[in-house]
Amino acid sequence: MNVAVMKTRAEVALTEGFAGVADALPGSDEVRQARTAAIGRFAAHGLPHRRIEEWKYTDLRGVMKDALPLAVGDQTKTTIADVIVAMGALGRIDAPRLVLVNGTYRRELSNLDGISGVVVTPLSAALQAGASASLSLDEEDRGSQALLALNAAYVTDGAVIDVAAGTKLAEPLLVVHVRAGGIAQRTVSRSQIRVGDGAQVTIVEMFVAVPGSIADGQTNAASEVVVGANAEVGHVKVAMDLGQVIHLANWLVELGTDSNYRAFQYTSGVGLARNQVRTTFKGENAKLDISGAFLARNSEHIDTTLFVDHATPGGESRELFKGVLDGEARGIFQGKVIVRRDAQKTDGKQMAQALMLSETAEFDSKPELEIYADDVVCGHGSTSAALDGELLFYLRARGIPLKEARALLIQSFIGEAIDKIDNVAVREALMSEAETWLAASI
Amino acid sequence: MLEIKNLHVKIADEDAEILKGIDLVVPRGEVHAIMGPNGSGKSTLAYVLAGREDYEVTDGDILWNGESILGMEPDERAAKGVFLAFQYPMEIPGVAGLTFLRTAANAVRKKRGHEELTTPAFMKLVKERAASLNIDVEMLKRPVNVGFSGGEKKRSEILQMAMLEPSLCVLDETDSGLDIDALRIVADGVNALRGPDRAMLVITHYQRLLNHIVPDKVHVLAYGKIRRSGGKELALELEKSGYAEFQKDAA
Ligand SMILES: Nc1ncnc2c1ncn2[C@@H]1O[C@H](COP(=O)(O)OP(=O)(O)O)[C@@H](O)[C@H]1O
Ligand SMILES: [Mg+2]
Repeated sequence: MNVAVMKTRAEVALTEGFAGVADALPGSDEVRQARTAAIGRFAAHGLPHRRIEEWKYTDLRGVMKDALPLAVGDQTKTTIADVIVAMGALGRIDAPRLVLVNGTYRRELSNLDGISGVVVTPLSAALQAGASASLSLDEEDRGSQALLALNAAYVTDGAVIDVAAGTKLAEPLLVVHVRAGGIAQRTVSRSQIRVGDGAQVTIVEMFVAVPGSIADGQTNAASEVVVGANAEVGHVKVAMDLGQVIHLANWLVELGTDSNYRAFQYTSGVGLARNQVRTTFKGENAKLDISGAFLARNSEHIDTTLFVDHATPGGESRELFKGVLDGEARGIFQGKVIVRRDAQKTDGKQMAQALMLSETAEFDSKPELEIYADDVVCGHGSTSAALDGELLFYLRARGIPLKEARALLIQSFIGEAIDKIDNVAVREALMSEAETWLAASI
Repeated sequence: MLEIKNLHVKIADEDAEILKGIDLVVPRGEVHAIMGPNGSGKSTLAYVLAGREDYEVTDGDILWNGESILGMEPDERAAKGVFLAFQYPMEIPGVAGLTFLRTAANAVRKKRGHEELTTPAFMKLVKERAASLNIDVEMLKRPVNVGFSGGEKKRSEILQMAMLEPSLCVLDETDSGLDIDALRIVADGVNALRGPDRAMLVITHYQRLLNHIVPDKVHVLAYGKIRRSGGKELALELEKSGYAEFQKDAA
């Protein structure tokens, strides 16, 4: 039976609006065809809604009332100084960077000098050259299929990063998505990261806004990561101080044999975020750590949804997500770990913890283990609690004033997650961002 | 001087009184022991001195150096020199011992009008005092009390006490769970802090500790009241007779 679904205003705008902007989007004829096919797939699905299992807690169809106009061909007079300020504490990190302003690559704001062994190009250039395969990314659940289809149809730009085998980069490589100009609009980006065998690299994807230019916004960002054999990859995502935006991010990651992939996602000051990550163990004995920190207040809504697919033997996966929730904020953690029949000797551990600073905040946690192999060690846990009154008393009995005692406990809570970031400069910058955020809650 | 006057205490959300009119005076320079059966209210008294919120003082007063401390927050009391060594020291995951000690030491120094300790000055002090308590400084780089044995936790309390330089020390069953060597180390640490300006209240269930920390006076707390007071020989007597007779008194 085929139930006809009423299309919402946003869905109609997203479907029918495509024809109006198609000419302005980068790409060869072949790419154009792929985009048109993608908008057709989106039209069939519609926006993700709460009746799709994976979207139970984030009813995008209900929340997204309208589609904002697509940002194409950015015209803002954004300066390097604006970009540095938008990056907050991470602006102090002296590292090569590719900058996109409102979804468009801005060469004069980027700095990719002096990196060898890594080729960084804007996705728009690849699409012009006819790389329609760049749009083929897909997910398993219907909701995310719809978002990836929308992403393929509308994507304006992104970073294509090719790290040659054996390359070792000491500095992190930054991909900075900046919102500027105070324009209410929708940005759609996609990045591809391919790390060759034995290479070592840290990549930081940032979503930030020039202060004072906060406006409603919608972001659909996708990243595809392929980690080669024996490669060591740090992959950090930062989404902060974006205001009342709907931020939808999808990572799809494939791990090669004996690789070590360490990912971290930091989210604060974002109206609604859905951070979805799928990692697939393609080669044997790979190691995965995906952790994160989310800080939310007011009516912010932060959803982290992970799929860890142990398809090969000997894999190790670790997930630690910690959230601080104040006001009416809502945190969601869904973590599904699948251990396939061949994935013997898998070792997986998952933990999600929320610290509730108000009685009206909410945390929903849904860990899931699906194990088809017999020789595995897997565990998961989840906690949600207010600051411990007895601990506060202990600190205060030692002379530490209430505010300082609260700060110490909250920082140590979130610090345990942030400590997972290997790169010292990135770790310290994010800790300082977290402390700034927390100062308003203490 | 510590003066506890007709102190009545109950749990904040309940009716039953735990302390039913405590009167006690501990002059500076003296060490008084409080002994008593389990559940008699010893820890309650200790917590109320330190300012824990779950308890409600329904009558009476506590004066330290002539000033009532009942209206003070726990951290204000600490700044005034009050220190409680907890019967069950807590673990603080994620907060390194050294950070904790330094934050605490500097918080009270600031409130007492002293200069904050510089990092080298703090490290010198903490190394010295940790060494005398047989505590490895490496251990203090770990989160406070996490993974410590019972004895290590008790020594860590005494180190905190040494770092905060309080003038009123309340020790709640600091001897429980210690073997004889650990007991001696802890007792030496406490004795090192004895002085003409400090008052100490040593709470214990057993007489054993009082061989090492010799008290000026011993008080028996049973059923919410001080039932008897005497010299250090009272502790020995209790060791023989137990607390049975106070059951009769209370009835
Ligand atoms: N927080 C509390 N909640 C409920 N009952 C308590 C609490 N603290 C103490 N009590 C009760 O008060 C009495 C005295 O306890 P406590 O002061 O711990 O005694 P002691 O330290 O002498 O063993 C006991 O009956 C105990 O159960
Ligand atoms: Mg007790």
